[in-house]
Amino acid sequence: MEPITLLLVLVCIIIGGLLSSLAVHLMPVGGAPAAMSTATGIATGCVMLMTGAAVTGLFTASTVASFWATKPSVILVALSGAVGSMLMMGFTMFVANLIYIFGAGIVPCSGRVAVDPITKESQTEYKTPRTDGHGVPTASFVSGILGGFSGGFGGALIYVMLVSDSYAHFSVATAGIVAMGIFIANAIIAAYNIGGTIEGFHDPKFKARIRTGLTCSLIVSALCGVIVVIAMLTGTLVGGVM
Amino acid sequence: MGEEEAKQAKQEEKEEKAKPKEEFRLSFDYFNESRLGIFALTICVLIAIFPGLPAFIKGIGIMIVFAWGADSVRKTARYGLGTGVPSIGVLAMGFGIIGGITGIAVASMSFGTLVVGGVEIAFGVLAGVALLALLGFVSGNLANGDKFINMKIPGLERGMTELGIAGTLAVLIEISIVVGTYDPAKVLPNVINNGLIAAIFIISAFGMLQPYNTCLGADERRARTLLMSIEIGGIASIILGIATTLTLSAVQGVPLIVLGAVVWVVFYRAYMKACMDEAYAVKGTGLIKTLGG
Repeated sequence: MEPITLLLVLVCIIIGGLLSSLAVHLMPVGGAPAAMSTATGIATGCVMLMTGAAVTGLFTASTVASFWATKPSVILVALSGAVGSMLMMGFTMFVANLIYIFGAGIVPCSGRVAVDPITKESQTEYKTPRTDGHGVPTASFVSGILGGFSGGFGGALIYVMLVSDSYAHFSVATAGIVAMGIFIANAIIAAYNIGGTIEGFHDPKFKARIRTGLTCSLIVSALCGVIVVIAMLTGTLVGGVM
Repeated sequence: MGEEEAKQAKQEEKEEKAKPKEEFRLSFDYFNESRLGIFALTICVLIAIFPGLPAFIKGIGIMIVFAWGADSVRKTARYGLGTGVPSIGVLAMGFGIIGGITGIAVASMSFGTLVVGGVEIAFGVLAGVALLALLGFVSGNLANGDKFINMKIPGLERGMTELGIAGTLAVLIEISIVVGTYDPAKVLPNVINNGLIAAIFIISAFGMLQPYNTCLGADERRARTLLMSIEIGGIASIILGIATTLTLSAVQGVPLIVLGAVVWVVFYRAYMKACMDEAYAVKGTGLIKTLGG
């Protein structure tokens, strides 16, 4: 394999890893407190939420990649992955909000900022004392959609570089499962960095921690990329279309 | 008549006395965290590099590697990470998939596999194990390092390294159970392209994350938690046994299914007994027939 191909795959894995780390930081993650609607966000951990969104993105990406017999368009496949993830995140947050509003009877509001940066509406009046916000307010929703875009694009970028016959040329299933493995390794580091809950880009935590998160993700994705390039160099995993 | 009755009564007594001997006892006191790690690493590396071994020996291998993985998850998740216990198990398998596929790719090179007297020795898979140990160590250092995330969790580096190794070994041993070799020409269609890798991913993740996820709490006891990992190893053996019967032959698959079923029943009983003994009081709901409860 030509060195330039290997380098391109390595660079794209690093970019994909960085985008997935950014995506985890953009997610409205509430963790266990959100299950009782005492924290803003969706009631699960960063990794589970992000893995769900990324796997949906990989499904749409692999479907779109199969439209080409050879040499799928990298940017179109990556964008279709982004759309899949955005849809998944959108449905999750919308249904969560339906349950929070009509089931639990709470008003979605941010606990970390006084004014919603998008709608400019005041939040503090709606926040129940001793809680950390409720539901998925507008700013968190937009942030989650952006996170879906970033994560889906990153995951699908790794996938298409691995599956495309002009690059790594793995089989569809190998590429998908390896892309998921790299994605999870990055998501965990980002989840450690967040340490519990985050509301989205307007959360003060985001600004304080994003730089560390991206630095760690750079190192982890570079290592994952090197490992995948070693697997590519052996040349035995070339599977083509299943 | 009277004598016969007395004989029968004696026999019944004997049977009653004999019954308590069947009680299964297994102690993890000897296998503390370091000993279990060294033991599992040695045994599982040996099992992983000989893909020609019979499937039920590899089945024992996955039970050991699950116990080690569950112990590592316990070590890592004990202090509260801000992310759930399940994500740690999923992380181990995320590492494991990358490592397993790289290991198979390296083992398929000409220098990766030695054939000595007809016995295949796949040293190449150890490259995957070593690379993932490195990746796990680096991730642990990033998470714990002062200049990076600075989580200050004791032993996180070691836990993450062990998760990388255990995950990779689990994937490798399971692939070698189902296919019986590391030749990519057979591994790709039989394990990866048909989607069995997804089942391998989730059963292995469950073997590692489920024990600590269910048992965690104030009265969590290591020996009891690890009983469950071996029980899940039994369930995994049954599932892999069915897959092996389909890909290789019934000669390989059926003993694995039998081993899995026996281990499942024995360790389910042992785990339930341990729970009943250590609980202050047990009240059955009647939904599940609990043993002795």
